[in-house]
This record gives sequence, structure tokens and C-alpha cells, in this order.
Amino acid sequence: MDITVVDRSATLGDSLLHRAAPASKLAASGLIVATVVVTSDPLIMASVAFALVGASAMLRLPLRSMLPLALYPAIFAFIFAFAAANGPVTTALIVLKAVTAALAMVMLVFTTPYPQVFAAVQRVTPVIVGDALLLTYRSLFILAEKFSDLSRAVRLRAGVSARQPLRSARATTRALGGLLLYAFDLSQRDYDILRLRGYDGGLRVSPQRSSAPGVDAAAIGFGLAALMLAIVFRALPLPGYSWIPGLAGALALGAGLIIGRNHTTKQRGAR
Amino acid sequence: MSHLHIPDGVLPVWLWLAGWALTAALVWLASRKLTTTDARRSVPLIGVVSALVLVAMSSEIVPLAYHINLTVLAGVLLGPWAGVISAFIVVLALALLGHGGITVVGLNALVIATEMALGWALVRGGARVIRRAKLGRVAAAATVLTLALTTTMVVGIVALGGTAAMSRETGALDPETLQFNNPFTGGVLSIGLLAGGEHADAADAAGETAGSAGAADAEPTLAVGRFAAVVYTLGPLGWLLEALVTGAIVGYIGRVRPSLLFGGADWRPRLPGDEHGRR
Repeated sequence: MDITVVDRSATLGDSLLHRAAPASKLAASGLIVATVVVTSDPLIMASVAFALVGASAMLRLPLRSMLPLALYPAIFAFIFAFAAANGPVTTALIVLKAVTAALAMVMLVFTTPYPQVFAAVQRVTPVIVGDALLLTYRSLFILAEKFSDLSRAVRLRAGVSARQPLRSARATTRALGGLLLYAFDLSQRDYDILRLRGYDGGLRVSPQRSSAPGVDAAAIGFGLAALMLAIVFRALPLPGYSWIPGLAGALALGAGLIIGRNHTTKQRGAR
Repeated sequence: MSHLHIPDGVLPVWLWLAGWALTAALVWLASRKLTTTDARRSVPLIGVVSALVLVAMSSEIVPLAYHINLTVLAGVLLGPWAGVISAFIVVLALALLGHGGITVVGLNALVIATEMALGWALVRGGARVIRRAKLGRVAAAATVLTLALTTTMVVGIVALGGTAAMSRETGALDPETLQFNNPFTGGVLSIGLLAGGEHADAADAAGETAGSAGAADAEPTLAVGRFAAVVYTLGPLGWLLEALVTGAIVGYIGRVRPSLLFGGADWRPRLPGDEHGRR
């Protein structure tokens, strides 16, 4: 999990979804999570997942970085499903639920800078939680870089190899110990800065406004449509027809991939 | 195994809502407690330790593909109240990266906050009884005990949601709907995915396919016993690795900067001007 890739895409990306308001994207993600909760049919779940991947491809989001993150929970979901579910259909549904919810979240964080996501969280949490969230975000990149340097230094000195797990664990531990001491110094420095600036609680982030209202409406519309689909297939006696949205999702995925590819080819040609 | 790797929409709604409600109450209580003591000191400390846990969770021990959690260590450094806020932040950040469901953030925060509080209590208690030179071993033992207890907590959560999680009323899983009917011929063409045959009558098809799907998915409940068996089989290896890493780090910190550990949650000195941090 390389958090810097996520941050780079969120802050430097220029897709249509990057221009939408964070509040709209959060609402759309919330609707997709609600869809995941309501859905009881693997084909409906698959259709939403296909449509999300298709939309990402069409918007030329970095799918190569996004998909491994979105598929990562599938491993744990499969282990959970293997251990707890009673059959292949249930297993497929549990794995698809994990991947679809992760896809929605990954799309959100790849197109929205973290402080903007936290700005929404700040409104509903106590001041100390919102402030600590922002400082966690700030410290995360500093510590990740420091840990990478420390690990490299330890690897060069002690050697980390797959054949010697104990030695590798010891080297990783030593790097983490050094990182911990560095983290405390960092915390002290943050404290000094906060004191100097007269911090009295409440680090505020101004919410980003939308520069593409149509995309806001489309994102929320997509989330609502997915939720309505899940509700209809759960509430009405429509067993046997869920392959239709499944097929529509697969077509949306294909269309998204083709449109995204054509756009990339055109851009290369223009250069 | 320190947090639930259960996706959204598997556990019953009442269970994850209860998790969110309990976490919200605990976070509110913890923030009240911390703002009345030393807000300016707590905020950067929680931020840095939460970031440290996130960095640890993103790094793995090379051949084993095991990621370290450092939750017990974070508990020792932060104490139980700041630990609650840190647990919530860590779980929320992980959920935003798709690592764990959004709906189970509350339950996961409870599990990790319990880990931090238990780890803090056990290491502090152990350090009082046993010599400081053996602090690393105390921390390792505390980690094993803490993780064993929180793993049991995870199994308990799954058991609580077990019977309801698969039912149509409260949960989300219904394999009966997995059939293929033709909408243009009024459902004449119907192929049950698991039954593997065509049926002349749509109603029969629905019934029979549901039956065959039901046969494959015999009981609409989570197999808690099997889940517990898997967790308790794989878990001890993780507990041991986590204990070794936590023990080594705590031992190292105990040697090079003992003030970070032996003062516990109240180690921080009150500096001039801190009283203005109160709200």
C-alpha cells in the first residue's frame, strides 16, 4: 500500500471527477456503500463493480494503482467467506461486496485530497479528533519517507532476505524502533509549532467548491441509481432477472475501457 | 487479526450501528477527557502515533506477508483515552483506502481501542511487578494476551451477527435470487446457475432453483465454529510475530529513552502556558 501514490493522484490529477465537489463525491460513495449493504444478489453487486471500473477507465483514473488497492480486501473477504459462509454463491457475494465498497472508497481518495475528505469528517467529530486526523495525514508522509530511508539503511547494513525471516523481522523491528523515536521528536516539534502559533483547537480546512456541477449531479445520480436498483431487486419478486443489470454493467465496463483507451491514443497522437 | 476484515453488508445492521454508536460515545468521552487535561500536547501525539501505526500496517515482514499492527505499543505510548481517538483515526484512514468496510469502522475501532487499552494496562502493570530490564518480555507477553483476547472479541462479534447476517430481514445475503430468466418470454427460459437446467415454468423454475441454491448454501447462517477454527489456527502465528516485534521495540525504547514508557499516559510534563489549551 503506497499512500504517496494515492495522494499524488488526488492532488495532481485533472480528471472530471477531480473537479467535482468533495461533498458530492462523499455522498456518492455513501450511496454506493448503502447499495453494498442492501444488495443481496451477486449479479447486481457485480454490475455496480463493473460500472465503477468502467467509469474509472473512462475518466482515465490510474486504474493500475487503484485496482490492487480495491482488490486487496478481496483476499481477506475470501478468507472470511471461506471460513464463515455456506456455499459458493454466498462466498462470491461477500467478495464482491468487499471489492465494490473498496472501489467506491478508492475512487474517492484517488480524486479527492485527504484534507478535503477530513473536512467533512471534522464537521461531525469533536475538535480534537478532526485536528488529530489532519496531523495524522501530515505525519503519515513524513514517517513513510523516514521509514523507507531507515529500512534501506538497515537492509544495506544487515540484509533483508526471504530466506532469513528472523533476520528480516529483526531488521524491520530496528527500523521501526528508530522510526518511533523520530516520531516522538516530530510530535514535540508539532507541539512547539502549535504553541508558537497560539493553537487553541480547531484546524479548519476550507471546503473545495465544484468546478463541474454536471459531474456532481452525475456522481450522485449514479449512486442513487445503484441504490434504487439494489432496493428494487431486493423488495420486488424479480428473481431471475438480475442478469440484465449484470450484463449492462459488463457493457458499461467495456464501453468505459474503449472510451478511455481511445482518448489516451488520441492524446498520444496529438503529442 | 487485530481488526475485522469483514466487508460492508455482511453483518446485520443493528450490530454495526451499535458499533458506531458505542464508538461515537467513547470518542466523545475521550475527547472531553483529553480537552480538559492537555489538548495541545495530545493532538500532535495522537496524530504522530496514529501515523506510525498506519505506516507499520503498510509495511510487511518480507517472506511472511504479515503486516505489523503496533496497536499494543500505541496503547502503551498514548494511554487508554487517547488510544480511543487514535483507534478511530487509524480505522477510518484504513477504510478510506478500502482496507475494511465503512460500516464496520465502529466495530473495528472498538476492537483496536480495546487492544490499546488492554496493552497499556498489562504493560504498565507488568512493569510495576517485573524489573524494567525485562520490559521487552513483559510487552511481548502482554501483546500475546491482548491479541488472544481481541481475537476472541472478533469471533464474538461474528457470532453475534451469525444467525441474522444471512437472513433477508436484517442482513443482505440471499442466494435464492441467482437465476437467469428471460424477460421477453415471461420467464419461460429459466436456467438455475447451480441447478444447471432449463425449466418450462417460471414459477417452478424459481422454486426449484431456489431449492438447488438452497442445497448448495444449506443453512443461511455464518458458520461461526469454522470461522473460529480458522482464526484460532492462523492467529497464533500473527500474535507471536507481533509480540516479537512489540517486545523488541519496547525493549529498545526502554533502553534508549525510558521516559517514553515509564511515565505512562501521564508522563507529559505540564509546561507554562498549557492551561490555555483547555476548553
